[in-house]
Amino acid sequence: MAWPHIFQRGTLLSRFSHHHVVVFLLTFFSYSLLHASRKTFSNVKVSISKQWTPSAFNKSIELPVEIWSSNHLFPSAEEATLFLGTLDTIFLFSYAVGLFISGIVGDRLNLRWVLSFGMCSSALVVFVFGTLTEWLRFYNKGLYCCLWIVNGLLQSTGWPCVVAVMGNWFGKAGRGVVFGLWSACASVGNILGACLASSVLQYGYEYAFLVTAAVQFAGGIIIFFGLLVSPEEIGLPGIEAEENFEEDSHRPLINGADNEDESEPNYSIQEDDTASQVKAISFYQACCLPGVIPYSLAYACLKLVNYSFFFWLPFYLSNNFGWKEAEADKLSIWYDVGGIIGGTLQGFISDVLQKRAPVLALSLLLAVGSLVGYSRSPDDKSINALLMAVTGFFIGGPSNMISSAISADLGRQELIQGSSEALATVTGIVDGTGSIGAAVGQYLVSLIQDNLGWMWVFYFFILMTSCTILFISPLIVREIGSLLQRRQARILSE
Amino acid sequence: MLHARCCLNQKGIILGLDLQNCSLKDPGPNFPQAHTAVIIDLQANPLKDELANAFHGFIQLQTLILPQDVNCPGGINAWNNVTFYINNQTCQGQRNLCNSTGDPEMCPENGSCAPDGPGLMQCICADGFHGYKCMRQGSFSLLVFFGILGSTTLSISILLWGTQRRKAKAS
Repeated sequence: MAWPHIFQRGTLLSRFSHHHVVVFLLTFFSYSLLHASRKTFSNVKVSISKQWTPSAFNKSIELPVEIWSSNHLFPSAEEATLFLGTLDTIFLFSYAVGLFISGIVGDRLNLRWVLSFGMCSSALVVFVFGTLTEWLRFYNKGLYCCLWIVNGLLQSTGWPCVVAVMGNWFGKAGRGVVFGLWSACASVGNILGACLASSVLQYGYEYAFLVTAAVQFAGGIIIFFGLLVSPEEIGLPGIEAEENFEEDSHRPLINGADNEDESEPNYSIQEDDTASQVKAISFYQACCLPGVIPYSLAYACLKLVNYSFFFWLPFYLSNNFGWKEAEADKLSIWYDVGGIIGGTLQGFISDVLQKRAPVLALSLLLAVGSLVGYSRSPDDKSINALLMAVTGFFIGGPSNMISSAISADLGRQELIQGSSEALATVTGIVDGTGSIGAAVGQYLVSLIQDNLGWMWVFYFFILMTSCTILFISPLIVREIGSLLQRRQARILSE
Repeated sequence: MLHARCCLNQKGIILGLDLQNCSLKDPGPNFPQAHTAVIIDLQANPLKDELANAFHGFIQLQTLILPQDVNCPGGINAWNNVTFYINNQTCQGQRNLCNSTGDPEMCPENGSCAPDGPGLMQCICADGFHGYKCMRQGSFSLLVFFGILGSTTLSISILLWGTQRRKAKAS
């Protein structure tokens, strides 16, 4: 167990300067804003599909055309829904492609420039998509698709950059809990987006898009003026230098004999550090790092389930139970609340155990159960919210961990430590594969729901969660094995 | 003032229309131009008995004089007073059918019933609602929103630049 490590944390916390706090908050809120504008789209789906279709009211009374049926972009609400699902899929595919590219770009260019450019331009695209088309009364399917593809590419600059910046400032010690808490940014963004959208929705859906786009643009400007990409930018020592220093001070407590041999390689690595720090790893090399492929595939399945909840939950609630759109939006917040608590708690536990995979496996097994429970939820708002929070805890938790803490682990492992920049690339690969899975899933969800109903959608989610466990099973077996060995060794030494 | 067969007010809006003895089979395609009329006279015309849809928009119409064999548009329920004379029929006092029909689900969401002429009803937006399908309510104040956002962004940017990036090496 790593309890002694945690008692040392007193010294660690004293090393967190106000720069660390600002970096944490800035990266946290910049990704929240990116996610908020994505969430806006899901929250206004009902209003947009009403705007695009003529009224289907069938009584003898006269309905003036200008008010009730002058928009014919889609003949019925079902067609509009299919198109909205297609837009989701298009977005996720271009987001996935963009992630692979942005990871590589972020490792080579200045992270601050890439991030603020991505935020500001994505805000402009969202403004054109949602607000300008409504003000000009110009509805066109091709335009919507093109804009959403561009938006996917621009939004993908966010995640690899923020994870890389966090990885630069926060080292291995306590990474699980810091990243667990930090990865709540996606869920906080969802909650923020849901609140903003539902408060402005009464004025018209175009104002929901306007508000989130404007706030995101402002965020991009603030990032440009306030973000420090790494401690080296203002002359503070980087985390590798600090970690090597810390390990040296620990050494005498463990094995006295080994000390002499270990210390020399340490000093030589530090010299190499300053010389070769800027070299970035190639895409193929990053893929071949141990653990990247199994976690990427597992994340593809898990992100599918997570994002399907994210995109379709308000729609499912108003479709299945008949609740109003604004209410369904507010209720879908509980899923994110569960995800935040899950990510933080599971990050903390995996820090204590110093192993990630067993924690993930247990959470995913319980997630299958909670999915079954949620699919049978009664038509009662409180019970539904509770089940939603539980499901969010067990699915969102592992999802947050894989995309943040584990990516940081993979991108900063000993194999490449200090000799190449791989963090953004690895994050891009893991999240990119995840997004492809999510994109395929969007299309499948709307297909299954159309043909077979919501129950089969839940069976599909259960299948995907099981596949996630399958993909990381070799890692689980290995890590449980080493945990048992460690316990055996301690029992033997006592 | 009187102008040929029309009675107009100062702004030139038609208040009365006298079309008696014009050999009209139907009121004609330009009839809706007189939708502001309060009194219309159509007696002594060979009109066909399908006048119901010709009076769309005639919400001010209070007195309608028709030939004997033509029914009041909307039927007897749409008028307060239907009197039969020797050579004509007079429909008086247009009724607002929205109140009497009493069906609460008459209009789509956020719509409300309003009279559209004798015997006719339409759904327009309820009070406070506007826009396509009456989905929108109230108006969003862009000035206040952008004012607050702009000033907040400016102050936070200056604060952060001062505390964080001022000592940053050029990159």
